[in-house]
Amino acid sequence: MSRATRVALGALVSLAVLGGLRTTSYLPYTAARDTAAVVRLAWRARGERVNQCRTRSADELARLPVHMRQAQVCERRLLPYRLVVDLDDREVANREVRGAGAREDRPLFVFEDIRAGQGRHRLVIHFTREGGDSLSAQAPIQGLSTPPRLALDTVVALYPRRIILVTYDEEREQLVLRDRSPL
Amino acid sequence: MPLPPRLTSLPRRALARADALMNRLYGWRGNPLYHSGAIVVALFAILLATGLYLVFFYRIGSPYPSVARITEQAWLGRWIRGLHRYASDAAVVAVAVHALRMFVQGRSWGPRTLAWVSGLVLLFVTFVCGWTGLVMVWDLQGQVLAQAGARLFDLVPIFSEPISRAFTGEHPVPSAFFFLNLFAHLALPIGLGIGLWIHVSRLARPGLLPPRRLLWGVIGSLLLLSVVWPASLPPAADLFALPGAAPYDWFYAFWVPAAGTLSPGATWALLLGVAALVVAIPWLTRPAQERRPPPSHVDEQLCTGCEQCYADCPYEAIAMVARTADPSGQVQRRSELVALVDPGLCVSCGICAGSCAPMGVGPPGRTGRAQLGTAREWLATRRPQSGAIVVVACERGAGGVTRAPTFDGAVVYPVSCGGNLHTSVVEYLLRRGAGGVLIVSCPPRDCLNREGPRWLEQRLFHDREAELRERVDRRRVRLAYAGEAEPGLVRSQLAAFTAEIAALEAAQAEEVVDLERLCEVVAVGGKS
Repeated sequence: MSRATRVALGALVSLAVLGGLRTTSYLPYTAARDTAAVVRLAWRARGERVNQCRTRSADELARLPVHMRQAQVCERRLLPYRLVVDLDDREVANREVRGAGAREDRPLFVFEDIRAGQGRHRLVIHFTREGGDSLSAQAPIQGLSTPPRLALDTVVALYPRRIILVTYDEEREQLVLRDRSPL
Repeated sequence: MPLPPRLTSLPRRALARADALMNRLYGWRGNPLYHSGAIVVALFAILLATGLYLVFFYRIGSPYPSVARITEQAWLGRWIRGLHRYASDAAVVAVAVHALRMFVQGRSWGPRTLAWVSGLVLLFVTFVCGWTGLVMVWDLQGQVLAQAGARLFDLVPIFSEPISRAFTGEHPVPSAFFFLNLFAHLALPIGLGIGLWIHVSRLARPGLLPPRRLLWGVIGSLLLLSVVWPASLPPAADLFALPGAAPYDWFYAFWVPAAGTLSPGATWALLLGVAALVVAIPWLTRPAQERRPPPSHVDEQLCTGCEQCYADCPYEAIAMVARTADPSGQVQRRSELVALVDPGLCVSCGICAGSCAPMGVGPPGRTGRAQLGTAREWLATRRPQSGAIVVVACERGAGGVTRAPTFDGAVVYPVSCGGNLHTSVVEYLLRRGAGGVLIVSCPPRDCLNREGPRWLEQRLFHDREAELRERVDRRRVRLAYAGEAEPGLVRSQLAAFTAEIAALEAAQAEEVVDLERLCEVVAVGGKS
């Protein structure tokens, strides 16, 4: 192989490698292929904190090391909520939302994507606190908490590949719709 | 349990063919596949330089518009951003080639485990660094990468709030997120520097930069690409739309389809499974205990304390220590210092055996003395014709000529590494009747033992310690370089060398005859 041929082939291989690099660096991909619209439920709820306390028996205390003998033990947690979503009178979600964290004492988070066809749809959402009647009597902790019942009953216009957001407005203490990012 | 040999032999042969092609096109000095590790370092230097420029114009309060402004700078910003992007992509390619090379050549276990594992950590940090860089742009790709990453991290129970909440559209994406990204993107390269130091810590004289011609070739090529085909800017992120078609950087976003299809738990399992597999390679690829080459050993009776093996060892596995008293209680007075091999660092390359004039160091069976014994046995069994050419060839490269006892009429004498070869063996072969000795070594930078061909060349022709004796006719010794898939190169070198030796023999024969005749004539003339 002559020197000129080698140089030409070397340049060609270099160009091919560079072309491959550029192509792989900008290869088109569609992360979400379907054309449906999305109703996104996303909010944070403070919930109602409750203390469940009980007194240890003498036997229990005796089994503990001296420095751990605390007569009363309390477990603090948030009351769960139930989320029910109806789209055009069809139930599309029904689940319990519990406090985050291993002890369920962190705020509750709702994050749910519901796919729907384009057009106008009736959207009904109920977000209701559960188990409060029996427990809150024991030791409710007062503070800024989400109301025990939130509801939204509205008609939404959905467009292909667009996301409409249902979130909680803390100032107005109600669920609201958004279709663009707040400033 | 070792991996099946086929798993490495097939890609090794493919790599050898690619090496041969690159050697033909660019020569072994400019072969980018040989310098993949050093090219990565050079690319990181480019990334640092271009990144410094970009960081001055990047705004965490308005990430996308600031990147758009950089891209609009036709004279500087556009190509600098392109160079930054392409250098980061090329770094992934170079790392992949480097890792593949180490894997298929069996250079990932034993004392090299630290380099392998630290290399993987460097690769992981590079991926994270690239991920933060792409998210910083906050285009469609950045949004998808951020959301996919957030979904994965939401499964890790260390965050008080799910990270995904930042991207639901409830609130604008906080500047703190972009600040953290920028901070990580700037801080991680410091970690890369420390990681690189660990990566090469067991190497003597690590080659951190490629040869100048290749270095400028890489820089020039990427620069050309970034000017001719600058980095483009896909549409901005939109949290209120499903991400549509957009260009993705597959060197860093290769995991996105899996993350979009699988659950976060399954994605974690897949990623951790692959990571565990590649981390385990040193233990999967190491030979069984009885097949592992033993580390070098020093015969203290022979060691003169010259420090040459200590200087030549490519892995800093040899230290010079004070001599200790021998069992009889007498202190050896031969030299104050004696070489000591650390078996934990020795890869059994045998280069120390080639560097030791008194033949006192080397792996068992491959010391200078053992090599002379092997050569003697080889001559006794093979009985090459007087005047025959002997091809001393590296078993792992040299065009694969060691697979047969002869090659194009020459007899083949295999050695484990050119750098392991003691020069006294060359002299011995010539004294026992070989017409010439053609030593075929792997090209420098492709030597499995790093510096074998380099030291061999200096010992043969430049009087490096354990040098080929002055009395040996250098015209009968030739050093050639050829990779595993380059038998043609060995063939042409052998043909040329054979012709030269034949010419030399003819000239010497004539010289002898003429001189004798001349003497006779002079003597006869004198008498008459």
